[in-house]
Amino acid sequence: MNRKLLFLTPLAIFLLLSIFLFKGLFSDPRVLQSGRIGQTMPEFALPDLMQPDKQWRNTDLLGDVYLLNVWGTWCPTCVAELGYLTELRKQGIKIVGLYFEQGYDADFGDQFSLPDLQIEVSEMLARAGNPYAFNMLDLNRTVLLDLGVSGAPETFLVDSKGTILLHHTGDINSRVWRAKFAPVIAELSP
Amino acid sequence: MIPELGFLSLTIAMALCILLCIYPLWGAHTGNLRLMRAAPALAMGQFVFVLLSYLALVYTSLHDDFTVAYVANNSSSVLPWYYKITSTWGNHEGAMLVWVLIQAFWTVLVAMLSKSLPWLLRARVLGVLGFLGVGFMSYTLLLSSPFESLLPYFPVEGRDLNPLLQDPGMIIHPPLLYMGYVGLSVSFSFAIAALLTGKLDNTWAKWSRPWTMAAWAFLTLGITIGSWWAYAELGWGGWWFWDPVENASLMPWLVATALIHSLSATEKRGVFKSWTVLLAIAAFSLSLLGTFIVRSGIIVSVHAFATDPARGSFILAFLLVVVGGSLLLYALRVAEVKSEGRYQLFSREVALWLNNIFLVVATLIVLLGTLLPLVHKELGLGSISIGTPFFNQMFSILLVPFACLLALGPMLRWKQNKIKLVFNKYALSWLISVIVSSAWLFSSYEEVKVMTLVAVMFAVWIAVTSIIDIGQKVSESSSISRGLKKLGLSYWAMILGHIGFAFVIAGVALTSAYSVDRSVKMNPGDIASLNEYDYRFDGVKSIEGKNFTGHAGIVTVLKENQFVVELYAEKRLYTIGKQFMTEAAIDDGFTRDLYLALGEQFDNGAWSLRIYHKPFVRWMWLGGIIIALGGFLILFDKRYRRRQAPQTTGNKGVMA
Repeated sequence: MNRKLLFLTPLAIFLLLSIFLFKGLFSDPRVLQSGRIGQTMPEFALPDLMQPDKQWRNTDLLGDVYLLNVWGTWCPTCVAELGYLTELRKQGIKIVGLYFEQGYDADFGDQFSLPDLQIEVSEMLARAGNPYAFNMLDLNRTVLLDLGVSGAPETFLVDSKGTILLHHTGDINSRVWRAKFAPVIAELSP
Repeated sequence: MIPELGFLSLTIAMALCILLCIYPLWGAHTGNLRLMRAAPALAMGQFVFVLLSYLALVYTSLHDDFTVAYVANNSSSVLPWYYKITSTWGNHEGAMLVWVLIQAFWTVLVAMLSKSLPWLLRARVLGVLGFLGVGFMSYTLLLSSPFESLLPYFPVEGRDLNPLLQDPGMIIHPPLLYMGYVGLSVSFSFAIAALLTGKLDNTWAKWSRPWTMAAWAFLTLGITIGSWWAYAELGWGGWWFWDPVENASLMPWLVATALIHSLSATEKRGVFKSWTVLLAIAAFSLSLLGTFIVRSGIIVSVHAFATDPARGSFILAFLLVVVGGSLLLYALRVAEVKSEGRYQLFSREVALWLNNIFLVVATLIVLLGTLLPLVHKELGLGSISIGTPFFNQMFSILLVPFACLLALGPMLRWKQNKIKLVFNKYALSWLISVIVSSAWLFSSYEEVKVMTLVAVMFAVWIAVTSIIDIGQKVSESSSISRGLKKLGLSYWAMILGHIGFAFVIAGVALTSAYSVDRSVKMNPGDIASLNEYDYRFDGVKSIEGKNFTGHAGIVTVLKENQFVVELYAEKRLYTIGKQFMTEAAIDDGFTRDLYLALGEQFDNGAWSLRIYHKPFVRWMWLGGIIIALGGFLILFDKRYRRRQAPQTTGNKGVMA
């Protein structure tokens, strides 16, 4: 009898797994990424990408409604959305960049040069449009992990009290903006 | 007209496939030989009609028929003809049709090459393959047909193939990967047929082994080329990202690797039978699970795939039937199976058993890392991310015992060994590899990290033990040529597999530790240096392709003022989709790759360039190719081509 039970374990494990797969299927994958909605921004102190002497804290951002845009020059989709984000900036939307340096992992002895990155970023922004009020560099990915970021581009909409209202995975374009962001922003400013 | 015919052909193939599923299985159940004998013809018919259907899609694509949604979305009139063909697997719907085609191809191969199998087994194998075919084909017909029409309103021009996919690596990567994924369905069918027949003997293992090897070798090649494509085409110089989509292909590979090892033990010694069957079921189940992950959008991945709950539900339902059903059958049948062989603690059986444990643990790590964010979320614990460091750390821990085993395993004999005899060889090879790898690393690099040294040491060790082992086996013969002849192809397959793996370990370790890169701003004539190479920027020229325009940065590479190579790092603008693509310029070499990506232009005419120096990066792919070659080699082993003598094809044989 014991032997039968042993051979039933794979089936039991599989069925358990299927329950999660089934549930996962009907929870919106965007929602999947949005475990932070309704929470306040995690506390952080990050250097400015261009002026590393300057530190940005989460408290510095209070008082404004803003988009926190996770991006990197290595990510083609991020570069593609810069144009539209720049248009948004012209319309008065405050956009803060959170730079995601993909190639660097201190644990594996990767090399990193801030001046190189600064050159690369400023060229990219000069060419494709600069939507950012400023950029923060999260080299150790602590804030990225706190926010549950799994890739780039990802964008958070944060209100003036520092509450995360939206978490969007993928690029922002006019369609996404109209359908997802605009209604939430409209509610904020009656 | 042609697309409609394509759809019709697929429908006919589906009808034949339903019969292929029902007739032989029913025939085997009732002992009706006539029903069983229908299987090969049905398999052939199904293949022919799927092929016609696929050719219809190719024709449609080549003729720029934008009334077909798939062609309009994934091709354009200016796309070069070879990319028009490859666009047929460039997106979900077409890829499913290619999947179905490959499934039909494997099925017909099995039908043709299994003549010497007893009818009961042969019919059941083909019936199970038919069942799987019905699943994939109905999914394609109902939910992802590439023949959907846009009539009456259709565009005059297509949206072009995603530029990322316009690359030679992408021409061969998906078909190879599918050959692997789908090929595993053959070992799965053999396992299910054996369970249904109730005869889990050496015959089953012997029949299953070459098919599994072939599928595994294709999967190895597919993953290798996929990694090379990411490196060459994505422009960031990386080769593995631990993305869910990549993990989806790695999991079946790890289990299939365990399977080919455990199959050899089952075939030669009659041990691990129930375990081997479970692995055969698991390997294919994981390739289905991978498909589910990739096609359902259940896990957000950097690779963009269309997400659709209807498609996800279908695959999940199919997964439940196939995996749930087979695991239930397994639980019911396998308890009666007893292993025959006896062996001692210090034997090849135990080494293979441990190898399986490590590979399964590695699979579980990948599975956990891939699915934990989902489970975490569904349990209401919030979102988490599992990144590259988790996988890297887990795998570097696993590598040490696994590599020890890999070096030791081939030296061991079945059943039992004298510890002292093996220990001498072991100690000698260990000594050689410590000396060689230390000498190599400390003489080449200023700084040597412990983990890098350990990894290279194991790589050298595996190579040295393989060579010592060949030497010893040959020296037991009267002459070298006779000794070499006596070593069978299976043996060489094993040696190639292990040496290939050594190349992969060394390549990963060295390129991770010693790759360097720098971003530079250059005017024509400027020289930048990285490691021992000087890069002279000779300006930029315009380039024009059929569906793109752009610039190529011309860079002359010098070493000690000697000309090495001239490289063109391109920046392309694909005119239809208005997408910019970086075509990295790569000078590949056995010991290093020079990798250049062109950046942006400055106002004063200067350009930014990113220069990478990647030592031994090519060894990873070389290793992958060597491993796959080993897998294919076993197909030429005479043992698997000899027909079995007594045929039990008569009615009496079947009824018995």
